[in-house]
Amino acid sequence: MKRTLASLALVLALGAVLLYGVRQIAPAPGALRDHFVHRGMEQTGSVNLVSSIYLGYRAFDTLGETVVLFLAVAGVMVLQAGKQ
Amino acid sequence: MKDSELVDIVSRKLVPFILLFGCYLISHGHLSPGGGFQGGAVLAAGITLLCLSRGVKDTLRTFPMRRVSLSESAAFLMILAMGVIGLVLGRRFLGNFLPLGEPGQVPSAGFIFFLNLLIGLKVGTGISLVMFTLLREDE
Repeated sequence: MKRTLASLALVLALGAVLLYGVRQIAPAPGALRDHFVHRGMEQTGSVNLVSSIYLGYRAFDTLGETVVLFLAVAGVMVLQAGKQ
Repeated sequence: MKDSELVDIVSRKLVPFILLFGCYLISHGHLSPGGGFQGGAVLAAGITLLCLSRGVKDTLRTFPMRRVSLSESAAFLMILAMGVIGLVLGRRFLGNFLPLGEPGQVPSAGFIFFLNLLIGLKVGTGISLVMFTLLREDE
């Protein structure tokens, strides 16, 4: 019972701290978002805005994702080859 | 699993449509929700269904390991090459160097369309390779 009360108090205190922190955060800046929404289609020619961001503006990030998948496949194949 | 007539027939009829849907998702990635990664995952799901219902050995006759693995590496190298071409032509690395075309058409958005095709090929063959290697021992 004592443990339950203590954990409950801890959770409530943590929640209060987090809530206070969240309320201190300034609203997210919208300049980049507005730029993507308004100019994305004419700059990249892609109707799908998600595609225009992840292959147009942030293609380098996508290249990194591809490398991660490549390494994962290579790792699986090497480990399985060692098992046989 | 191989003794079940139902699983065998249904999966064989279903897989071409799954592969077709994957190709649709990849080629229309710049127009509608979807794209290279998602379409590639759907392609790999079709091949995985084939592996599970027919066995890996039969699937490998249609999709030889060597060819799948080669096309994965080739797709990755071609993505890198497209990035370097942008650099050579005086734009950014992975910058668009093709004409944008008319928005809404299937070959439009220049570079994004081709990058989607390559990433779709890369992800589809990559996940298929993982499935081949992981499922092969259970035979």
